Amino acid sequence: MGYLCGQVPGLKVEGLVTDSNSKTYLSRRKFFAATGAAATSAGTVAAAGGATDAAEDTGREIHYGMVIDARLCYGCHACTVACKAEFGVPLGENRSWVEYTEKGTFPHLSLGFLPRLCNQCSAPPCVPVCPVGATWKREEDGIVVIDPDICIGCKYCIQACPYDMRFLNVDTGSAEKCDFCIHRVSQGLEPACVEACPAGARIFGDINDPDSEISHVIAENPVTVLRPEQGTEPNIFYIGADHTDERDPRVESMYVSVTTNRRYEERR
Amino acid sequence: MAEGLTWGLPVILYLFLAGMGAGATTVSASMLLRGGGAHGVHHEIARFGAILGPIPVIIGTGLIILELGSFQNGNYFRFLNLLLVVNLSPMNIGTWLLFLFTSTSVVYAYTYLNFLPMPFGDRVKVRRALAWANIPLGLGVAIYTGVMLGAMPSRPFWNSPILAFLFMLSALSTGTALIVFTRALVPRRGLDEEQQEVVHKSGYVLATSDATFIGFELIVVFLFLMFAYLSVGDVRYAIETILPGGPLATLFWIGVVLVGLVIPGLLELYFVIPGLLYHRKYTVSRYTELVIAAAVIFGGLVLRYVVVVAGQITGPVGL
Repeated sequence: MGYLCGQVPGLKVEGLVTDSNSKTYLSRRKFFAATGAAATSAGTVAAAGGATDAAEDTGREIHYGMVIDARLCYGCHACTVACKAEFGVPLGENRSWVEYTEKGTFPHLSLGFLPRLCNQCSAPPCVPVCPVGATWKREEDGIVVIDPDICIGCKYCIQACPYDMRFLNVDTGSAEKCDFCIHRVSQGLEPACVEACPAGARIFGDINDPDSEISHVIAENPVTVLRPEQGTEPNIFYIGADHTDERDPRVESMYVSVTTNRRYEERR
Repeated sequence: MAEGLTWGLPVILYLFLAGMGAGATTVSASMLLRGGGAHGVHHEIARFGAILGPIPVIIGTGLIILELGSFQNGNYFRFLNLLLVVNLSPMNIGTWLLFLFTSTSVVYAYTYLNFLPMPFGDRVKVRRALAWANIPLGLGVAIYTGVMLGAMPSRPFWNSPILAFLFMLSALSTGTALIVFTRALVPRRGLDEEQQEVVHKSGYVLATSDATFIGFELIVVFLFLMFAYLSVGDVRYAIETILPGGPLATLFWIGVVLVGLVIPGLLELYFVIPGLLYHRKYTVSRYTELVIAAAVIFGGLVLRYVVVVAGQITGPVGL
């Protein structure tokens, strides 16, 4: 997991905040309430404690990420439904969904569940291609956002995403994708999918804060990201995820069937 | 197969039309600067290319504006956001090139419409100045489309530096073919000896140019295929869509390679070689010219179709 060290500041000793007063443990909800209020003013954030050293290391104070424990997921689609309801995502499209991976033949087989959402990459390939500057990675919290009032709907970013996370919202004519529920997170709430998950498989938080629950979980478990060879440095981490693909050369002789549970039957 | 794609037929047509128009204007401008006076062989080619060039470019641009998600949702002028920003997105750079090229090529075309009054400057001087601008801008428009597709590691089929060069050569070749095609539509009866001479000589120049472009295009197609075939993983998987057995193989090998490149290239060589080697007169019936040019233009369209579709039905392998 060497490549993770570069992108999870919580693991970096030299990046630690020196101000010990601010390091009292907060519950997740309280933490969001605090950061949500602080994030309303960039100046407040920059002034907080001796945190500027850590900010220099990563370019931002807070960096939201998510850990998905695929061992706990049982594919109920509560996250998918919560997300669709939260944003009124048009029919046929999803900001988040759960893929099933069937593998092997009876009695030696497995069924894996893989929740998918925007990876909020640290090197997002969708951002530099935008010809009108309608999408960017937020300085204050690392969320990759789209401004639907600037977006012209050219669909270049949709092509550039190696995870097929973006789609054109036919109701607005703008590109759209998961934004970690900014409207909820900024009010101190968790994203809709996290709150809806009955298995507790999703953990959301600030990966720049070494004391956050998510940083603890990442530090204490083997985690993986999707398609790391694309160089996108995703911020969605999986525990126990089955990365097997139907086209995977590693399992050519084995029965593998992926059900995407979305409009596109093939994984893209 | 173009249904359900993120970029469908309007984009495919745009890539083809913008390339062909930019190619025609570029060929025209270079012919003018190589000694096209007010008449003669080079003038004949330059005039056709200049007047034809902007037409497909404007049609193609219209098609992609109509295709924009914002336009289809009633924000008819949202696309102007493109001209409010300068960034390094290939599409943004391309938009600026397209905007400048459309402006200069339309005025350039206007200078060839002798029956219309010239509101400013000397017609010939303006024409020459614009020709100098049109060559780099035309090549820019022809190249950027390939850069735009090639800029994405998520699309392994497109993610090759040679794709832009292939598009540029195809643009010049189809642009030349567009000039040949339109020239051949004009009946040649009743021309005096001198005019006949100009028609044949300009036909010879166009055929040799096009044969050269096609030759280079075949080399680039070979390099594109060979390096993808020798690669592993995503790129190798992607190229299999146009290798024998792939879903686009027939269209690629018959439509692009055979009909679009090999057959017209060999025909052009067949008619050009007597003049090239033995200084014989180049005489080809205009029906033959029509067929050759139509094949080249068809090949250019199918090339864009195959590339745009193949790029979108393939992606990263594994997860």
